Amino acid sequence: MFKQFLDQADGNQGYLLSSFGIFLLFFLLVGVLLLRMKKDEIKYMSELPLKEDDDERGS
Amino acid sequence: MTEQFHYDNKIVRNFALATIVWGIVGMTVGLLIAMQLFKPAMNMGSQYTTFGRIRPLHTNAVIFAFVGNAIFMGVYYSLQRLLKARMFSDALSKIHFWGWQLIIVATAITLPLGLTTSHEYAEMEWPIDIGITLIWVVFGINMFGTILKRREKHMYVAIWFYIATFVTVAVLHIVNSIELPISAFKSYYIYAGVQDALVQWWYGHNAVAFFLTTPYLGMMYYYLPKMADRPIYSYKLSILHFWSLIFIYIWAGPHHLLYTSLPSWAQSLGVAFSVMLIAPSWGGMINGLLTLRGAWDKVREDPKLKFMVVGITAYGMATFEGPMLALKQINAIAHYTDWIVAHVHVGALGWNGFLTFGILYWLIPRIYNTALYSKKLASFHFWIGTLGIIFYAVPLYFAGFTQGLMWKEFTPEGLLKYPNFLETVLQIVPMYVLRAIGGTLYLTGVIVMTYNLAKTMLAGKLVANEAAEAQALPKVYVAQGAEKKLHRILERKPMVFMVLSLIVILIGGMIEMMPTFTIKSNIPTISSVKPYTPLELQGRDIYIREGCVNCHSQMIRPFRSETERYGEYSKAGEFVYDHPFLWGSKRTGPDLQREGGKYGNAWHYNHLYDPQTMSPGSIMPPYEWLIEQKLDTTTTRAKINAMRTLGVPYENGFENKANRRLEEQALLISADLKQNNIKVKSDREIIAVIAYLQRLGTDIKAK
Repeated sequence: MFKQFLDQADGNQGYLLSSFGIFLLFFLLVGVLLLRMKKDEIKYMSELPLKEDDDERGS
Repeated sequence: MTEQFHYDNKIVRNFALATIVWGIVGMTVGLLIAMQLFKPAMNMGSQYTTFGRIRPLHTNAVIFAFVGNAIFMGVYYSLQRLLKARMFSDALSKIHFWGWQLIIVATAITLPLGLTTSHEYAEMEWPIDIGITLIWVVFGINMFGTILKRREKHMYVAIWFYIATFVTVAVLHIVNSIELPISAFKSYYIYAGVQDALVQWWYGHNAVAFFLTTPYLGMMYYYLPKMADRPIYSYKLSILHFWSLIFIYIWAGPHHLLYTSLPSWAQSLGVAFSVMLIAPSWGGMINGLLTLRGAWDKVREDPKLKFMVVGITAYGMATFEGPMLALKQINAIAHYTDWIVAHVHVGALGWNGFLTFGILYWLIPRIYNTALYSKKLASFHFWIGTLGIIFYAVPLYFAGFTQGLMWKEFTPEGLLKYPNFLETVLQIVPMYVLRAIGGTLYLTGVIVMTYNLAKTMLAGKLVANEAAEAQALPKVYVAQGAEKKLHRILERKPMVFMVLSLIVILIGGMIEMMPTFTIKSNIPTISSVKPYTPLELQGRDIYIREGCVNCHSQMIRPFRSETERYGEYSKAGEFVYDHPFLWGSKRTGPDLQREGGKYGNAWHYNHLYDPQTMSPGSIMPPYEWLIEQKLDTTTTRAKINAMRTLGVPYENGFENKANRRLEEQALLISADLKQNNIKVKSDREIIAVIAYLQRLGTDIKAK
């Protein structure tokens, strides 16, 4: 099934491969960024919506 | 230092009201066009209410009026709270609100009048396009202004989605709206044929991505934790899927053009990235659903959460189905059928609709400082809405498979089993009836919600300005030394962020579009393809005005089942003078790419006057007014000049004799009709339409 991608790209595999390459690079970059994030920073960020002085209105 | 300030709830309320009102309008129009498909009389015999003209009204109303207002409602409420700041400017908020409603009203007036560019989900003519641009900029200034004066240093992930939405929609809208105006409400896209198709579907697909998806994911990341009273399942996942989503989405547009004349490498790229798209999409869905871990008991009792859960699940289903539909083998059957319509509505009714309803049920009581009027009615809304989605989608899936397979079926002798297209339509008409029932159920739910929310509003009182307090952020410019630099980077973060997401979304678009625009070999020219005659050009514009493209494609894919039925498959070089392209995306009627010469002029005349006389059982509405209305030839000169500016090789001075040529050709057609006992003046619109239809696909047709 996936063979047809390459078959039909006739001579234009460059587009496909370089596109994948760019994405892979970008994905790794984000991955590294994520791994380097500190735990308490993550915790702080994820609790941002809950930090408002909420009351019981409407619930 | 603690600062006192007020959140602006009035603007949120206004957008909420607009969401509800336009939601009802847009869905009612949807129901009307759904009924037109099994009862042509519902076209009401008027040109202003025919399917071709009001189907764009439905799509634009639900996307930009219903969902659009819901986005602004969701953003204006959550942005203020996440940043601990009132919106940047009350005046800008007001201009944004009223400007957007004005755009909607202008759209609702112009589309039924037939003033359309024909680009799907961007049918509005150029003055409205400019209006959209201006109001979008107002929204952007208001949003970034708020971000800059924030009291919370960090930007929560929801805001990332809002920023990506703003940036990308701006880019999409501008690139897809580059038109050459020839009058106050008529313009031609500067792109032609294959390039125009690529731009349109790059835009169309990413309108789904950045108008229907990213802002809603942002809203999910804010409202779901609020409703469930627990943080999002994985913040890291939200970051990873955010960047992957906006990166990959932008590449996927060409999956709308599989097997067409688009260069195959671009198709392959589109398919590959569409398949990859499932990962970040499901990242979002999983993150949403797992946020409710340990809170499922709440879901059982709380209709709001039920809406959220079904909404997110619908997102998961639609984003699983999307990559599947992008596979060429599946696309070969599904494309042009109701399968696509079903797919879209699982996303629209389930994801966008249900999330909007859940948020409305949560938000309205809050800003009115009261409790929801009736939980039971909300629960009823949930169940009738869910039933509505099922009744909508299942029959259309069935219709899609059935028709897609019927189009491809051959007899043992090697002939098409259903050579008459109409036969495949009549087969699925009962499914259209069921779909309309589904739509009715869904709309009923919305009306019940409206009553419930109105009662809630009447019971409470709007807290127009909600008091809040927060620590001010330390002023950056007073910082000294090395610290100064660090703080300045932080302060600039939203701008850096915007630029970063802009770069990310530009990569895909550039790689896919640039070669198609710049490398000639991608669109081989065909010497026998000539520009349209003035009469054909006028006829083409009537074809655009009537929205024929909403039901008829002009793109024959290279399958035996299609070349047998319609003729030679379409070549890229045939469309080089088509500003805009009219390939279409749905075949409610047959393809018209090789219509030229297939029938006589008289057949077309009779068929347009009353389709049922020529094709008994046809669901096409009659177009009597084409016979009554005189063709406006005052525009011919401007049209020829505009086309020449866009690169169509009309000889110099041709505009001076264009109308003479037009009349000559019209007289020939009316004379031919007279021989068939049809008396019609040569200056009527129908003559131009017939001229255009008879030209279609004849340039490379084997004589």
